[in-house]
Amino acid sequence: MNSFKGKIADIKTNGSLSLITIQVESVLFTTIVIETPDTASYLKQGNSVTIIFKETEVIISKGIDQPSISIQNKTVGEILDIKKGALLSTLTIDTTIGKIIAVVTSDSIDQLQLYVGEKITTMIKATEIMLSK
Amino acid sequence: MIHIALQKKLTAVQGDILLDINIDIDQGDLITIYGDSGAGKTSILKMMAGLLQADKGCIICNRNTWLDTEKGICLKPQQRKIGFVFQDYALFPNMTVKENLFYALEKRQSKKIIDELIDIIELGDLQDRKPQKLSGGQKQRVALARALVRKPEILMLDEPLSALDNKMRAKLQDYILKVHKQYNLTTLLISHEISEVIKMSDIVCIIENGKIVKQGSPIGIFTTKQVSGKFQFSGEIVHIEKEDVIYIVTILIGTNFVKTIAEATEIQTMSIGDKVIVASKAFNPLIQKVN
Repeated sequence: MNSFKGKIADIKTNGSLSLITIQVESVLFTTIVIETPDTASYLKQGNSVTIIFKETEVIISKGIDQPSISIQNKTVGEILDIKKGALLSTLTIDTTIGKIIAVVTSDSIDQLQLYVGEKITTMIKATEIMLSK
Repeated sequence: MIHIALQKKLTAVQGDILLDINIDIDQGDLITIYGDSGAGKTSILKMMAGLLQADKGCIICNRNTWLDTEKGICLKPQQRKIGFVFQDYALFPNMTVKENLFYALEKRQSKKIIDELIDIIELGDLQDRKPQKLSGGQKQRVALARALVRKPEILMLDEPLSALDNKMRAKLQDYILKVHKQYNLTTLLISHEISEVIKMSDIVCIIENGKIVKQGSPIGIFTTKQVSGKFQFSGEIVHIEKEDVIYIVTILIGTNFVKTIAEATEIQTMSIGDKVIVASKAFNPLIQKVN
């Protein structure tokens, strides 16, 4: 799994859901959780948390122009390594926040013609990011 | 409300330990005592039952004082309203299931309870059999029924399921939960299995060297500390298989197997037999009705 340390920058709560904004290096990440500051004491502005997301949930977009897409979490980077398998491939990407690993289908690597050294944008949906203290 | 405060010097394999606990239990709760062997778990139940003398202590069960060493009060085991189930079934081998239950009946107590228990714990087909003709799980069901004949206020279970296989264990857990609710019992369970603790208990007390080091809801104690994911289970890795550039990890959760994907760098820290937490966000799983 990909995990990065950050600080809680903002918390929006409605009922039992909270939308948490976490600052990791210079990038803001957003995640939605079924917790509120009342049910989870670690949800406090300024607190350190770790964001966690699975390699298979990382979405790749060619180039570094921000695509207009509903995915809130985006960070730009450069492909460091591609390990190609028959069906799935592993990408190692050097991004603003550190190394992100992505597992995507080998077909999509062919279709996008991704190569080592290419500048790309990695994206993760807000519903795919977990928090850990 | 049940108040338990007990102190006793115990001699364990690793040397003397001072058992020193203080718990308040709400009527109707199922509370699990979880800890390594030699931590003093069984001694607590034995002192509750009056089978082991406390050095100092006080047990008050629903306003009745069972033990108060300062006032010199110590009720005999038969005066305390408890049911006890041990790991070894302790049934009378020469008596049938029904006779075993009748033997537990108090003088002048109505026999109605026997039929009621046979019905609830589904012993109807087994009632005329002798214990040697029963499987481990069936014997433990009889032992559970027998512990309830005198309508105890507290049911105490000392690792009653540890000798059973997973399937049998899950079934017995359901019977225990059923009688716990039906008779509004306060139940004290000793267990080593995290999945069992999470399924069964309202409160878990973690005991180390005779002291309660943590107490709270099992989910809070065992899981949410690690990740925020709400779709979360604890299990054991039973198989790891390399598939292309990734790995498929098979995990046993209770009696179910699940498979999940892991990446090469994660696999370096995992091996078969490892206890793990499997977590996903509540936003991902699909729910589909089964016909």
